[in-house]
Amino acid sequence: MTDAEVMIRLEGLEKKYPGQKQPAVSELTLEIPKGEIVILVGPSGCGKTTTLKMINRVIEPTGGRILLEGDDVTDADPDKLRRRIGYVIQQIGLFPHMTIGQNIALVPGLLKWDKSRVNRRVDELLDLVGMDPAKYRQRYPKELSGGQRQRVGVARALSADPPVMLMDEPFGAIDPITRDRLQNEFLRLQEEIKKTIVFVTHDIDEAIKMGDRIAILRDESRIAQYDKPEHILSDPADSFVEDFIGHGASLKGLNLKRVRDVELANWPTSPQTATRGEVLEALRRSDQGAVLLLDEQRRPRRWVDARSLDRTDKPLMETGLPPEAIVSPGTTLSDALNEMLKSRVACAIVVDDSGAYAGAVDIDTIMESIQAMRVAARDESRALAGADMTGDSS
Amino acid sequence: MEFLKNFMTYLEFQSEELLLATLEHAQLVLVSIVIATVIGVGLGVGTYRTARPAAITLAVVATMLTIPSFALFGLLIGPLGLGATPAVVALVMYALLPIVRNTIVGLRSVDPAVIESAIGMGMSRRQRLMRIELPIAWPIIITGIRVSTVITVGIAAIAAVINGPGLGKDIFRALARIGSPFAVYQALAPVLGVIVLGVLFDVFFLALRKLTTSRGLR
Repeated sequence: MTDAEVMIRLEGLEKKYPGQKQPAVSELTLEIPKGEIVILVGPSGCGKTTTLKMINRVIEPTGGRILLEGDDVTDADPDKLRRRIGYVIQQIGLFPHMTIGQNIALVPGLLKWDKSRVNRRVDELLDLVGMDPAKYRQRYPKELSGGQRQRVGVARALSADPPVMLMDEPFGAIDPITRDRLQNEFLRLQEEIKKTIVFVTHDIDEAIKMGDRIAILRDESRIAQYDKPEHILSDPADSFVEDFIGHGASLKGLNLKRVRDVELANWPTSPQTATRGEVLEALRRSDQGAVLLLDEQRRPRRWVDARSLDRTDKPLMETGLPPEAIVSPGTTLSDALNEMLKSRVACAIVVDDSGAYAGAVDIDTIMESIQAMRVAARDESRALAGADMTGDSS
Repeated sequence: MEFLKNFMTYLEFQSEELLLATLEHAQLVLVSIVIATVIGVGLGVGTYRTARPAAITLAVVATMLTIPSFALFGLLIGPLGLGATPAVVALVMYALLPIVRNTIVGLRSVDPAVIESAIGMGMSRRQRLMRIELPIAWPIIITGIRVSTVITVGIAAIAAVINGPGLGKDIFRALARIGSPFAVYQALAPVLGVIVLGVLFDVFFLALRKLTTSRGLR
């Protein structure tokens, strides 16, 4: 990394609490590149949260330096520093006595923006996190669901457009289904905003899904491995990392690949206006067990198989099964696999932004990607074994 | 029945004087509560973040409340003489405990996550106190003020022993003449005034709390 690409540089950062022999964080040196999501992950008590909180000096380091865009901010005015850094914590901590609009407007207010600019910014941010400003601006935090509060927390952290965001287990207190959706939304958001994000989690799966880079930390925030997720999966640095990733590294790799990255499977389709004969013909020509009926806009409407085609007592659209397991090109293969396993037809339907059918993901698609990842990992570790390992291994 | 009729006649006859005494009484209570609120919230804000000073402050103001009121009014004659001033001083001393305690409890009840996010957003100590902590603690603080007010309305009657203003004068005057034909009415009327005043203050502070608390906290 060159200096221009580094947003945050931690140099020999250290935190010792009085009366404790072991430091909480010892001699941590880490470079965080501009515009990337860097995940700090490790077992509980490894000092990852302490490390994160030292970056905006909510916890003051007892040694080392913090450089933000090349400036040494170790001794800068902490309040001014914090206004340049967005901060999202697990409990979110929205101000209960303020409306959603007031919560988001607070930091711009501290920075003395003029009122109309603040109001525009509040609406823009609510739009950005997918909440209707007219509906939510005047609401209070207690009137929102957990997922909505989390979105407001992110909007509030982004309010003064800080170059850096610190997130401490931001999705930790949310139910798994909502968490998944919020993670996907957040990744889509990051494609737009391109912030430098430091993200703490204890969940390796979340780290693999969310991170451009992952720092796996052991006791006292010592770096066991700092690399891109695919390299950590294919080439763990030592047994600590291996144990931390756990078994099923290939399955975890499915978190890295998205539906748009793979070749979609071919399932037979027919317009919903087709006759039974035409549908049957389509089914015969393929080696799959069901035909997907599409409407005029090519949106999936119904699965029909040979048995439901035999039932002539009902119109075609009332036989068969409604389409389940509908995913988008941005869905990870891991999520698509989950959906597929829940659905009664062994396949996930892929639709584009307009909802039109784009293809399908089935078990063969998944197997092929796992195979491909294994081959790639094997080739890479062979190449690495023979090469000099300094520098960026990408 | 006869008693009630006579009492009503007495009230009618004395209404002007009674009203005046009630207003004096209300004024004495209000002045004391305003001063006690300034001192009490100040003490609470000054000590809530540290365990020992908060405990010591609470112990001191709690001790004040245990001094019998008759004795306290008497003790204040030495340094402050007679009249309204020692009465206000004594009432402030009695009013402090609920206000200080509720200020400390209220400020300590603010969710640590809320405070951490305020720090993380770059709010100074003063900004956090004025814009986050005090507004969130406010419903609890104003409840303390309300309790203090109701206590003070009762104790203020005893201020008459040091020549303080209010309904107490009438009560003591009547007690001195117990046995005479009108003594019972004479005592009952100001007692009724104290009760009515207490209820009015209570309702007033309930309404004020509702009006001044953010909808997000209700």
